[in-house]
Amino acid sequence: MSSKLKRLFITVIIIQIVFLLGLVGYRETILALGRTAVLQTVPVDPRDLFKGEYVILRYEISTIGDGSNNTGTKPYIRGEIIEGNIVYVGIPDSDTNEFDRSQFAQAGNPSEEMDLFIKGRVTSSKDNIITVEYGIEQYFVPEGRGLEIEQADDVKVRVKINRSGTAAIEELIVDGEVWRP
Amino acid sequence: MTSDTPNNDSTQNGDQIDERSEESPAVQADPRQNWLKGRINQWRESGLISDDQSEAIINFESMPEAPFRLGLRFSRLIIVLSTLGAVLIGAGIISFVAANWQGIPAIAKLALLIGGQTAAYWVAYQLQFVRGFPKVGGAIMFAAAAWFGANVFLVAQSYHLGTENPDLLILWFAGVLPLAYITRSKAITVMAVGIFLIGISWKAAAQTEDAESGLQVMAILLLGGSSIYSIGLVHLSHAVTKFFAAPYLVGGTLLTIFVTFMLTFEDIFNDLTRSPARESLELSGGYVGIAVVVSSITVASLIAGYRQAMRVERFSVQKLSKPAVLVLIVVAAWLLAFHPFTSSAPYVVVFNLLLILLIFGLITLGIVNKREAFVNVGIVFFVIDLSTRYIELTVDMLDTSLAFIIGGLLLLGVGYGMERARRKLLQQFGMMEVTQ
Repeated sequence: MSSKLKRLFITVIIIQIVFLLGLVGYRETILALGRTAVLQTVPVDPRDLFKGEYVILRYEISTIGDGSNNTGTKPYIRGEIIEGNIVYVGIPDSDTNEFDRSQFAQAGNPSEEMDLFIKGRVTSSKDNIITVEYGIEQYFVPEGRGLEIEQADDVKVRVKINRSGTAAIEELIVDGEVWRP
Repeated sequence: MTSDTPNNDSTQNGDQIDERSEESPAVQADPRQNWLKGRINQWRESGLISDDQSEAIINFESMPEAPFRLGLRFSRLIIVLSTLGAVLIGAGIISFVAANWQGIPAIAKLALLIGGQTAAYWVAYQLQFVRGFPKVGGAIMFAAAAWFGANVFLVAQSYHLGTENPDLLILWFAGVLPLAYITRSKAITVMAVGIFLIGISWKAAAQTEDAESGLQVMAILLLGGSSIYSIGLVHLSHAVTKFFAAPYLVGGTLLTIFVTFMLTFEDIFNDLTRSPARESLELSGGYVGIAVVVSSITVASLIAGYRQAMRVERFSVQKLSKPAVLVLIVVAAWLLAFHPFTSSAPYVVVFNLLLILLIFGLITLGIVNKREAFVNVGIVFFVIDLSTRYIELTVDMLDTSLAFIIGGLLLLGVGYGMERARRKLLQQFGMMEVTQ
């Protein structure tokens, strides 16, 4: 290998490392600077040979209705939303932690009415009910620990959310206690 | 007077040949060897090669075939064993890290991932380029490139990011593609092109869930296939890059023919548009931009590839067939993106015709250029198309069980016939792998 190619080879390896550090940096920035919200969830515990063990988190806000029967305790759909849409869902921050009528799901852009919002993608839309994924539906745990979370009575997830609505999981709160892996 | 084929014995330099032939009667009986020796003597006499070079070539070519082939098989075995070994070690480490992920401190995780990957590259570099073990080194280089991909997913996992994410594949692709060129590794090129194809197809599948953009995404995927193939043509037209052409040509072909096949079904159109009676679909600016860029890559690659080819070869109408088909694909893709007709029927007709053109075009291209891969792809899609049309035709006409039995018998018969035809074609035309 010529010295020029050797330099290029080293450059590519450095670029690969920068890619990895970039991924780390992006998520760390959200965790460090994002606003905090606490989301109620119901976990399920699968396992994958290469991924290891993880719990699937299904949030209260994973399914959103049209608001006709809404009691003001959950967000509701505003405007037309179809499968595949990017939606912004207004949520309360960790200080108030209570939904109100200003918290709804809207496609396209976040509403100015929303104080704190989370971005997701609509995976299905049927009978005025949408299912949304926020990219925080998996929580990886050490081998054999998934069942502890699955069998708990109450599981909440503390998330950090940046200005564009991208969320990152900070920690799990299992039966009122922060869960330590 | 010179002889042009290996079957023509050279008589001009007979005495020189006979001198050597006496040493090896087995070689004397081989007309190819005699022809080659005559040519080598001519090259030596005309000053193209020295006496030493002439002797070295003749000695090399006189070597019995069996040990040479044995050596080739042995070297393939080394590659297979080294690759399997490297992949197993990598899989073991990744599996261990994944299973105990949350128990490892953040800094240790990063150090383990980046340190392990860099160490693998260092070992690969040392073996491949410094210590003179190119096959084992190449296998470890391949495993290190795969390790980078695993690291991308492990980092995503460490932040509980959904790993069912095609963007991670695109990141992996971007990281390993330059490595393929720097290390001149065909295996890494195949890996990079493969990852890219899976990544964009996966992304497209996610995007087509959105009824407003389904057709446009399929159009971009079709344009992507033709673009990847055109990039392969550019590689093929330059001696330095010819080595890398095959993965692009085969990958682009597979993507194009698969998307075209999908678009031959009316149901797919109805799914993509949600309603066949929908008046029109508005083209979103973002998708138009992507389609323009991808189409431009195809056109620019075609121009670049053919300009180079025309410098060394004479112009012929036959040479225009490939660009003509690629232009047709681009036009069909734009027709799909604009979707001017309310009924799905015209599109189904257009894409069925395009599929037939691609199938027979590929088989012809394979035969003319002696490329086995193209013949195989053409025949496989011919059988798939035939089977699906049979099912479409009989599903409402015959009892299901009868339709399956007749279909099964027909498939077995067609499969047997096609395999025989394929083998005959390959033998008749002395086919070679696409890269040779």
